[in-house]
Amino acid sequence: MTDHVTLTIDERTVTVPKGTGLVETAQAAGIEIPVFCYEPRLGPPVGACRMCLVEIEGMPKLQAGCTLTAQEGMVVRTARTSPLASEGQNSTLEFILVNHPLDCPVCDKGGECPLQDLTFRYGPGNTRMTFDKRTQEKPIPLSPTIALDRERCILCYRCTRFSESVSEDNDLVPLNRGANTVIGTFEDQPYRSRFSGNVVELCPVGALTSTQYRFEARPWDIQESPSVCGLCPVGCNISATTREGKVKRIQSRNHPQIDEGWLCDKGRFTYGHLTAADRIKTPLLKGEAGFEPLEWDDALDQAETLLRAGGDTVVTAFSGTESTEQAYALGRLLRAGLGANGAVLPEEIPTALDAYRAPLSSIRDATTIVILTRDLVADRAPIVDLWVKAARRNGATILTEIPEEKLEDAVLISDNAAHAAWLAQDIDAKSAFYLPRTPNGRGVADAWSAAGDGEASNEEPRVVIVSGDDAAADPAVRALAAGADFVIGIGLFQESFEGLADLVLPATSYLERDGTTVNLEGRVQRQRRAVIAPCPDELAWISKLAERFEVEVSPHASLAFEEISGRIYGGVSFAEIGEQAPLPPAAEKGAPVPAPKPVQVPVADGLRVIRYRPLFSGPVVDRVPEVEFQKADHEVGMNPADARERGVIDGDMVTVNSRGNFHRFKARIVRDLPAGTVRLSTYAEGDLTEFVAVRK
Amino acid sequence: MAQVVPNTLKGFGVTLKQVFKKPLTQQYPEYKHPVYPRFRGRHRLHVHANGLEKCVGCSLCAAACPSDCIRVVAAENTPENRVSAGERYARIYEINLSRCIFCGYCELACPFDAITLGNDFEISEYNRDDLIYDKEMLLKEPVKKVPVADRSLYDTPIPYYRSHS
Repeated sequence: MTDHVTLTIDERTVTVPKGTGLVETAQAAGIEIPVFCYEPRLGPPVGACRMCLVEIEGMPKLQAGCTLTAQEGMVVRTARTSPLASEGQNSTLEFILVNHPLDCPVCDKGGECPLQDLTFRYGPGNTRMTFDKRTQEKPIPLSPTIALDRERCILCYRCTRFSESVSEDNDLVPLNRGANTVIGTFEDQPYRSRFSGNVVELCPVGALTSTQYRFEARPWDIQESPSVCGLCPVGCNISATTREGKVKRIQSRNHPQIDEGWLCDKGRFTYGHLTAADRIKTPLLKGEAGFEPLEWDDALDQAETLLRAGGDTVVTAFSGTESTEQAYALGRLLRAGLGANGAVLPEEIPTALDAYRAPLSSIRDATTIVILTRDLVADRAPIVDLWVKAARRNGATILTEIPEEKLEDAVLISDNAAHAAWLAQDIDAKSAFYLPRTPNGRGVADAWSAAGDGEASNEEPRVVIVSGDDAAADPAVRALAAGADFVIGIGLFQESFEGLADLVLPATSYLERDGTTVNLEGRVQRQRRAVIAPCPDELAWISKLAERFEVEVSPHASLAFEEISGRIYGGVSFAEIGEQAPLPPAAEKGAPVPAPKPVQVPVADGLRVIRYRPLFSGPVVDRVPEVEFQKADHEVGMNPADARERGVIDGDMVTVNSRGNFHRFKARIVRDLPAGTVRLSTYAEGDLTEFVAVRK
Repeated sequence: MAQVVPNTLKGFGVTLKQVFKKPLTQQYPEYKHPVYPRFRGRHRLHVHANGLEKCVGCSLCAAACPSDCIRVVAAENTPENRVSAGERYARIYEINLSRCIFCGYCELACPFDAITLGNDFEISEYNRDDLIYDKEMLLKEPVKKVPVADRSLYDTPIPYYRSHS
């Protein structure tokens, strides 16, 4: 029992592993030590709020329980048994409330506020303060998505600790000293971080609130639906808050292996796309003057006619935003009903990597991480970036080039499917992660293969189905569609299909459907319907359409999943996936993967342009004005060395030119960028060639 | 059989006695009996003396309501459109009086004394939808008023919202 300690808390004896914090130890004994600032995910405790005061035998004064670890033979008394500790907590709350405005009725946190709850349980019933409370300007917009109320702030430093030691952006800082301390950003710049929304959830009072949720609902008006985010391949667990049938906010739902309770701003703040002005609610047919709405029966007739005309030459282009069931239903309709086996899948899935499968949380414990990605990890899979940062804080070595020698226990992160499997084998990685481009590209590919087999027709496609708005925006898909006689679109937004499709059928967003998605680890997770879509469910009309081709497709996601699961996921059921999906075990290592052909990197004068898809881009983000400030379309990312050479500092306006095309961009210094390259958004001006000159 | 005649006469006797008594029946609606001062009738929303609404749209009344008949949707006050004294105001305030049980919990829950239960009970309608009272209806004086007994006859404190504004 050397690695365990036994101590007494409130006359209860408890044995815990060595190094356990006192708050957790008390919890193990069934005793609550109240806290505001304590949050183990934010690094070492700071003892800022003094709410956790406990009496410890042998120590003359009350101690902050959160900063202590359990020691052998310790005798601890909390407020339950110690009048001294109770008095201390009472006074702490009285001091916290000296300047805390009691505007709970107008505060968004009211009803789910730890300060309210703990004041009820531990605080004084009345106030002795007769003087005026300090007032400040409020609310201060920290960014278009976050409002700060400095009067309510109790200076627990949770938000600044998040900014400093989790997202490592260092944007949110305490200003001034002592009693004049306030939370803010440098020079009142907007708080621009991929993870800024997490501070709203961390704040134990109503000081940091979301502007989108501002005054929208109170905790007793709302329902929570446990679901999974469908905007990037990480598949963070989320909880969608709905009121009166509308999504009002998205909160994270801690899955310790995937997201540890963090969520990026794209996942948190872009639910406004559900109510976009150009949302497709009825089937649309291309007419003389743009799209005209169509009755559903006519739309299905029309679709049937088009599909019969296309026959086995129909090609489906997927976005990777569909649920696995939707892709399967579409696959059954086309492959079994028409024999149309042609598909443009959004992703090449390296199945050989399944042998290196591990939970994302294993990145944190790695000693060496090899990151070989063209895009920044944070743009493709933001939460993975937080895991890498956590590993770096733990002392891990981060390599961005292929290492010369063999590595012990290395973790590989790559965005090149063909390369990744070979590389993982070459460096003998402990685990390897492939960062896909699309949220459910893997599930869609799985579903398509489960839906049937057979070779695609060699003929030119007469009919192309464009599924999803991302596919509609893809130049390759648009080129394919341009060669077809008819194009059927399935999507959320009318604008995506203008000038592209002849018939558009409405789709549902990830918040409006039941189904499953497969994340980058290969974990099958369940999405639940949080709100009713403004149009019928996709599975419902695909099932109706499939009837006309004498194919049986279930309109229910659970039954569709049962079929898919029986074929490729080993018969796992909806219930087994549950709210916190388990990771399937790693596959057996197969035959050695042959080395891919080396890619020649062209060399020329100037800086090489790397085009990338920023996190804040795409049809969903375009429809949410609140996150407009996060977009990087008018920015050029530069390596620190290249920037220094040209006398450019972060935020400068620079001129980027190639072959006589000049454009002005805002310079952003990106540390992870290789020297000799610059990063431009794929949505930035397209007339810049591969090599550009940059000057101030 | 011998009892039939005396019993019948006894019954008629009771009826005959009532003829000379003062009747208890009140001719409602021609006559309206005054209600007690603390009788809980139709709700009222109140405004401050400067015209701003007391309600800040906090929804505590909706939380306290056992029959779930209150719906509050809040919005933010702006300098151009200032409705209440705080940061937020009730953009929509509805009470479904067909569900209300007139328990007065909303009045107790209200931190700003914005909602009180008045004395008016004549709220019948021919249409259920007409029983959903919106904010404008609740802010206005009731159309039909009922007499209230003299407050001084009862040990009733003057409500806070009458003595303060």
